[in-house]
Amino acid sequence: MSDDRGDSRAWDWDSPQCRAQLDEIFFRPHDYIQAGSPEHKEFWAFFERFQRFKAKRDMFGSRAANKRDPHESKKKRSDSQAVDLGLPKEYDARYRINVSVCTRDVEERLGVSEHRQRSTSSGPGKQEVADCRLALLHFLDFTQKQSFGKLAKLKREQKSLPIFQYRERIVELVRTHSVVVVAGDTGCGKSTQVPQYLLSAGFSHIACTQPRRIACISLAKRVSFESLNQYGSKVGYQIRFESSRTPVTKLLFLTEGLLLRQIQQDPSLSQYQVVIVDEVHERHLHCDFLLGVLRSLLAMRPDLRLILMSATINIKLFSSYFGHAPVLQVPGRLFPIQVIYQPIPPEEQSSRSEKLDPRPYLRVLQGIDQRYPPEERGDLLLFLSGVAEISTIMEACQTYATHTRRWIVLPLHSTLSLAQQDKVFDIAPPGVRKCIISTNIAETSVTIDGVRFVVDSGKVKEMSFDPKAKMQRLQEFWISRASSEQRKGRAGRTGPGVCYRLYAESDYEAFAPYPVPEIHRVALDSLVLQMKSMDLGDPRSFPFIDPPPASSIQTAMTYLREQGALDARGELTTIGRLLAQLPVDVVIGKMLVLGSLFNLVEPVLTVAAALSVQSPFLRSAQHNPDCSTARQPLHSNQGDPFTLLNTFNSWVQVKGERGSGSRKWCRRRGLEEQRLYEMVNMRRQFKELLRSHGLVETEESSVSVQDRSQRRERLSERQRLHQLKREHDLQENSRRKVLRLEEDPENAGSSGSDEEGGTGRGKKRKEDTGSNLDIQEVKFKLRHNVNELQEAAAAGQDLSSWQQALLKLVLCRGLYPQLALPDEHNATRKDSEQVFHTRNKQGVVIHPTSVFASDPEVLHVPEHESSEFGADKGQSNRHQLLAFVTLLETNKPYLSNCVRVPALQALLLVANSVDSNADCTRLVVDGWLELSVSDAEAALRVLSSALTLRTEWERLLQAQLSQGGPGSTAGLGLAGPKPSRRDLEKLAEGLVRFLLYTEVSYSLRRLTALQSQNLYIGPQQDSGLPDSQNLNPLFPGMKTEPDPIKGGLRVSSYFTYNCLSDSKDLYSECLRTFWTCPHCDLHMPLTPLERMQHEATCRPAGEQQPEQDAESGKAESSSSSSSLTRLYHCDVCNKDLTLTSTEILKHKRQHLQ
Amino acid sequence: MGTAVEGTVRGMFTCEVCDLSSPFTYYGQKPPNTRAIVLLEECFVMKDPFSPDKERFLILGSKCSLCNKDVCVGTDCSLFYTKRFCLPCVRQHLDQFPQQVQSELAKKKPVQKTS
Ligand SMILES: [Zn+2]
Ligand SMILES: [Zn+2]
Repeated sequence: MSDDRGDSRAWDWDSPQCRAQLDEIFFRPHDYIQAGSPEHKEFWAFFERFQRFKAKRDMFGSRAANKRDPHESKKKRSDSQAVDLGLPKEYDARYRINVSVCTRDVEERLGVSEHRQRSTSSGPGKQEVADCRLALLHFLDFTQKQSFGKLAKLKREQKSLPIFQYRERIVELVRTHSVVVVAGDTGCGKSTQVPQYLLSAGFSHIACTQPRRIACISLAKRVSFESLNQYGSKVGYQIRFESSRTPVTKLLFLTEGLLLRQIQQDPSLSQYQVVIVDEVHERHLHCDFLLGVLRSLLAMRPDLRLILMSATINIKLFSSYFGHAPVLQVPGRLFPIQVIYQPIPPEEQSSRSEKLDPRPYLRVLQGIDQRYPPEERGDLLLFLSGVAEISTIMEACQTYATHTRRWIVLPLHSTLSLAQQDKVFDIAPPGVRKCIISTNIAETSVTIDGVRFVVDSGKVKEMSFDPKAKMQRLQEFWISRASSEQRKGRAGRTGPGVCYRLYAESDYEAFAPYPVPEIHRVALDSLVLQMKSMDLGDPRSFPFIDPPPASSIQTAMTYLREQGALDARGELTTIGRLLAQLPVDVVIGKMLVLGSLFNLVEPVLTVAAALSVQSPFLRSAQHNPDCSTARQPLHSNQGDPFTLLNTFNSWVQVKGERGSGSRKWCRRRGLEEQRLYEMVNMRRQFKELLRSHGLVETEESSVSVQDRSQRRERLSERQRLHQLKREHDLQENSRRKVLRLEEDPENAGSSGSDEEGGTGRGKKRKEDTGSNLDIQEVKFKLRHNVNELQEAAAAGQDLSSWQQALLKLVLCRGLYPQLALPDEHNATRKDSEQVFHTRNKQGVVIHPTSVFASDPEVLHVPEHESSEFGADKGQSNRHQLLAFVTLLETNKPYLSNCVRVPALQALLLVANSVDSNADCTRLVVDGWLELSVSDAEAALRVLSSALTLRTEWERLLQAQLSQGGPGSTAGLGLAGPKPSRRDLEKLAEGLVRFLLYTEVSYSLRRLTALQSQNLYIGPQQDSGLPDSQNLNPLFPGMKTEPDPIKGGLRVSSYFTYNCLSDSKDLYSECLRTFWTCPHCDLHMPLTPLERMQHEATCRPAGEQQPEQDAESGKAESSSSSSSLTRLYHCDVCNKDLTLTSTEILKHKRQHLQ
Repeated sequence: MGTAVEGTVRGMFTCEVCDLSSPFTYYGQKPPNTRAIVLLEECFVMKDPFSPDKERFLILGSKCSLCNKDVCVGTDCSLFYTKRFCLPCVRQHLDQFPQQVQSELAKKKPVQKTS
């Protein structure tokens, strides 16, 4: 440009070398902006724009401006009064910048004498350094303006929220009342603003509950962002697996369930000053319960402030429940919405089994296309009842969309991956509308801006519990008027809207006013368990806001008793107390506890975690042959939990070897990786829970093994990951993508060959951000140590058949009584027509996703092994049962997540009720399964060893449970001796041997209703029963007595002998058979009961007796020995003797000889 | 390293023209950790909440060099031309500003307080 550039002709702004030289002046490691950072890249991009702009200005603008300037300012100067601002006469954009960059380095280069510059001909000259500095100043000014713009926008938005007008009133009400109800519809800003108003008014220790975990995270992020991170870590969240809470946290978003758990630990909730319960109108189970608990807590904590936040639904209910608490109602910001009733004509209505007819929905799309020009923006939100309905309608709309090119169709429901859900927030290109087809998730929990049209099917699918069939049911219902209004409102958030109701106005008027609260629909097991552990008295008299029917509570109590969590009086058992503290289903909790007893912790943790999250197997991939082939090695025909275990373990290996390459691995197999991430998190939380209860040992930290350089490496890796996460979090808030018409949403997740980004979105994101950042991978690495996980997975991967059997037993006992019996005719039926029966529901089928749906033969009794004729009909040793996790009725009652177990063996080891006839050849389990063993000798042997194993299992389990940790009874000095490793190994071996190698032929069938009714002989008046003195305890500490209802003899809590109605006289001589004890030299004719008595106390010589005797002899000789011995009156000697059962038998034998 | 701009809140900054208010963590010409950067006026500064980097600063506003009112850096409230001027003051002395500034201002209408 000018002459002095002549010397540095070699200078080239585009050359990386030249730029690097300037980097050494301006962007050194200790400078504000460092070379290599994202900002540094942005600077050079800015620099290029800036140079172009300058060049343009030099050519045109500047001359004209410069000419006029001095002239004009001279003229005006004379008019001006008094003050001289002393402004420079010549305009220069640089005067507009309030920052300056000066270091000695820069000054030196600018001030240095010309000749030194010349000597280094290739270096940047004075001019270049000046140019660069000027650009840097402009760049700094530009970034300041950018950030300030965002700040100003944020502040503007906050002020424009409807609730903003009420901020002082809200604070005032909270100061003066212990309970305040804030009612306002979504979009009024209550969830984000109310906590902020309280914070800035000086309140602290605020808890804000949310029904959904995801809302906790996003609200914490949003509020922290809106308050400009000025509170830093002072705004946090805490959910099941994640917590950002620190000691300085002032505002905590958490789930309702978690707050309840905190009350469990800290009954006065002293850690909080304010509790906000948000979305109370949704009436979730936990929320209703929480309100009840908080109400009674307020009496204890008059200083506590409680704020209920609700949509404008049924506000009176909440206010009056809390003694007519003041209500602050915030008007929503809704534009007028036109309602059009468009009931579906009869010929287009589908019956329950048929697919939905898409025509009424397509008509709405067509209507919109005809009536509204494409340039008038506005998206459509369509409410359907469920996922199947969504895919039906989506298919039809997609066809229409492809044809018209005016729509982008997107599904929205909770089983989609988060990335897919997120897509509904992206923007449609000009002239194209989004058509979002959603479940009721978009009614309250997901808010999408820009919706102008709503189509409401009027239907919703809700989960309910059928206590009779012990079954969950997903049923379709008409929605309530409140829901209907809520759906309508979604059309008027950003402008006037239209709501098409696909039902008649008369239907609307017949709708219930409000949805049925969850507490009236679902199984209350966990709730009752929690109430019990919180000492809230009789659950039937708890003052719920809207009490559930007493029968539901009764059902739950019965179930918990069956599960062993409550005792006969309805009080918590040891295991029940522990289960109440685990935030999982009772069955999952049982698995964890049982697994911790044996050396099975790692696989049990994985299985429990896998069963607690949604299945990672994508339904859409099931019909993709490539996926099926790739999945094959993961399948286990032992059952779905084993398939899940294999899948998880293989994934962890891939993760360890290939890092984010696991994404591709998952796509090939049709797996939703998000679920696997959830599993890792849940697994870890379970482990911590078990550890805190002393159920697994604290492992020595592996950190000590690493050397310093490894530690440092890990540290710097973590810093890098944290940085990545921060950048991601910031982008998340701002960037919204423009959708593309060509994208085929049907493809999402199902394409196995796609290299990167199986969803169209993945690809787009990659291009846009210029990096292939897998945020899940980053979070995963931050949270978990892959090496440790790999070790754990390896431990679970190569389970021996021995461990596998034990794991099965643990799962089965955990799941009990959720057992299903294969129908006897299954072997002759088609694969698709296999039928099963549970105790309470006949004719259930296996869910198509289960491994047994595709491989039912493994459940059949091999033909050559079962006799088809005569008395032996159906006799086999290969009968199996399915233990299942869920029984859910949708269009059919389906069993999901099943494990197969050997029937007789498993039942004898886990069932709550086993009844026998006199010679134990007929056994009835839980009053519905009948097992007939043809060989009486074998029957007795099996039963006897099952009884022995169970006693030992129970003893060791109780010993393990009494170990405890914080919150257990251990602190009270009740901790007994830890179960010895040797005992545990012996038990495990015994159980596995019993499960795998018991050779006994039997038939298995379900009793008819009539048979079940006339099962027992009932109480007998003294009929040949010897006096109770003679009913010796079979097992130490256990009383044998006549069963008052069934008749026969109660031998243990689960086994009643000789009570079945075909039974014979208890001591009838014909039942005596000669028997030789394998352990002692006893040989004599014994009744079955006598024989079992002997076996219970006689152990192999030198194995058990000495140890136990020594132990009991030292410590508690009187009580222990008395449980083994009893008073025996011998008629022959006419003497009273104190003997053990074995000794009695030996004594009797003397007289026989 | 420890004393990033994040630091403790020193007070609330409120623009006397538009009412925008926000806490600030530093007031002066040399915010911490800005290295070679110096501000040419005394500014109310906070940590930039929009940058992933913890040490970025954000200038909220400063005092008008004429009337000494606190004004934000928003272009509707103030401008910087070797010194900070709130727009009301600029309007009063418009003739002393160069043509570029005058024509810029002519396009703007005075903002009302929103609250
Ligand atoms: Zn302002
Ligand atoms: Zn002023």
